[in-house]
Amino acid sequence: MADQSSLSGPASARLIVGLEKRLPGLDLRVHLTVDSEILVLFGPSGAGKTTTLNLIAGLATPDAGSIMLDGQTLVHKNRPGATVDLPARRRRIGYVFQHYALFPHLTALDNVAYPLPAGRLGRRKPEAARQAHALLDRMHMAHLAQRYPHELSGGQQQRVAIARALAAAPRVLLLDEPFSALDSAVRERLQIDLAALQAEQSLIIVYVTHRLEDAFAIGHRLAILSDGRVQQVGRIDEVFRQPANSRVAQVMGLRNLFEARVQAAAPEHLLLDWNGLRLEAPAQAADVGATVAAYIRPEDVKFLYPDRPLMGAVQHNLAAGVVLGQQASASFHRWRVLLSNGCEIEVRAPDHAYASLPLQAGQSVQVSLRKDAVVVLRPGLGAAL
Amino acid sequence: MNWDALRLSLQVTAVATLLIVLAGLPLALLLARRRFRGQTLLETLISLPLVLPPTVVGYYLLLFLGRNGPVARWLDVQLLFTWGAAALASAIVGLPLLVLAARAAFAGVDRSLENAARTLGSSEIEVLWRVTLPLARRGILAGLVLAAARALGEFGATLMVAGNIPGRTQTLPLALYDAVQNREYGQANTMVLAMTALAFLSLWAARRFERGGAARPAEAGSGRSE
Repeated sequence: MADQSSLSGPASARLIVGLEKRLPGLDLRVHLTVDSEILVLFGPSGAGKTTTLNLIAGLATPDAGSIMLDGQTLVHKNRPGATVDLPARRRRIGYVFQHYALFPHLTALDNVAYPLPAGRLGRRKPEAARQAHALLDRMHMAHLAQRYPHELSGGQQQRVAIARALAAAPRVLLLDEPFSALDSAVRERLQIDLAALQAEQSLIIVYVTHRLEDAFAIGHRLAILSDGRVQQVGRIDEVFRQPANSRVAQVMGLRNLFEARVQAAAPEHLLLDWNGLRLEAPAQAADVGATVAAYIRPEDVKFLYPDRPLMGAVQHNLAAGVVLGQQASASFHRWRVLLSNGCEIEVRAPDHAYASLPLQAGQSVQVSLRKDAVVVLRPGLGAAL
Repeated sequence: MNWDALRLSLQVTAVATLLIVLAGLPLALLLARRRFRGQTLLETLISLPLVLPPTVVGYYLLLFLGRNGPVARWLDVQLLFTWGAAALASAIVGLPLLVLAARAAFAGVDRSLENAARTLGSSEIEVLWRVTLPLARRGILAGLVLAAARALGEFGATLMVAGNIPGRTQTLPLALYDAVQNREYGQANTMVLAMTALAFLSLWAARRFERGGAARPAEAGSGRSE
């Protein structure tokens, strides 16, 4: 685990998860420590994200392992000591489902009042109604309290679902792809509200997503789940800039992954040999002669203007190549370039860049791989490139 | 109008319906939610009265309730030729109609709603009472109305196990048979009209329950109110 550090003080809540569960096609082993923060659990579909949430919530039983929350044992199984398996209803772990899971036969208000103590014959107490109203108000939904779920938009339903989860006074809030079905403006507002809520109530939040943008938008820390294992946990920018292994880089959708041999490890830089192309990378510990995985993001590969002097960052890692093809999308262009070492690389730039350079297929070009942007990865867990 | 027969019919139907609910809902829930050995066998057995001639069902009941049957021998209860036997016969032929409908209704309840209820602090009984049953309510009621109507019209099995004793076991369908045998067509006409009206009303109610959602999809069903 790359990072177990806490963002908050020692007195605050902490969720410690160490679980094993075998499923057809998935061997899940998850170890996580979450404090009062938003931890984004990111991974491709089938990585075990939802199963992990179900195990934490108590909707599934692990084969072995334990979950501790504020020093209380929620689950303890097939480990030394007495077996514990608290049912979901006693865990005080809120769960916001991908498709909201609002009770269709109840109004928004009754949905939120659901976990609140009821009077005789299940009649709602005035106190519960007040509390439910306050929670709806907190989620900016008080004006729609009497609507039924099917009369609400997706974003509104998810607001009610969050209010309902909060009504049960949870210590932990789990969100499973909560905003994936919503359009980006609605998603953004909900993310802002969720972040405010977390700060206000010092909640422990685990937020599952397969969208990296969500992780950036909302997470304090990022945990990468792939092939049933937590591959890396850390601050989001750290994980993004320095993926722990090639599997993480791949899962995060990083392009231009390659294998290179370490030629020299000098104090000022690391010298790599990528299939005959000499590359300088930022200085770091590495065994000379070892083969390492590395990548450079397509934005950090620059075309050079033949008529302009080389300056600054593009002085290093020059290579000749031939443009293989060009693709344009809404806001950027993408080129595939065959380098002189026989390897292909992707170059990406805003659509207004390189307007004066001829970059159609077949054109000979000079590129620079920015030295600072060459990221050398720690070896993956048995994952081959 | 044969008021004794009408009263008996309603009494038998009410008790049969109660038995159908008590036995049918747990069975439907079991069949909808669990996979177990012998499931197909159980399903087939429950549905059998739908296709068997009622007299065959009645004959089985005769053996079951008779002097050498388990009920008489171990429970020391003599049900044969009482209205209780008629209620039991009606319940057995009506049961599959409820089980089939309720099973489909239970299967249609989104499991994530039940899981949501669990994470919100509900016990399994509460989940059933506050989420599963309200959401399956329409299908259950539709099945129940059909089962009750079938129980009301039961003839063959009832005749076998309860006989045709006026004032004691003679229900409306049996009284109608007697009336026709005795060429009392005036009596027969009234009874036919009464039974047709009851059957029509129950079918109409069943349709209403099934479709009820279209007009008012989210009618409160939790027992809570403003």
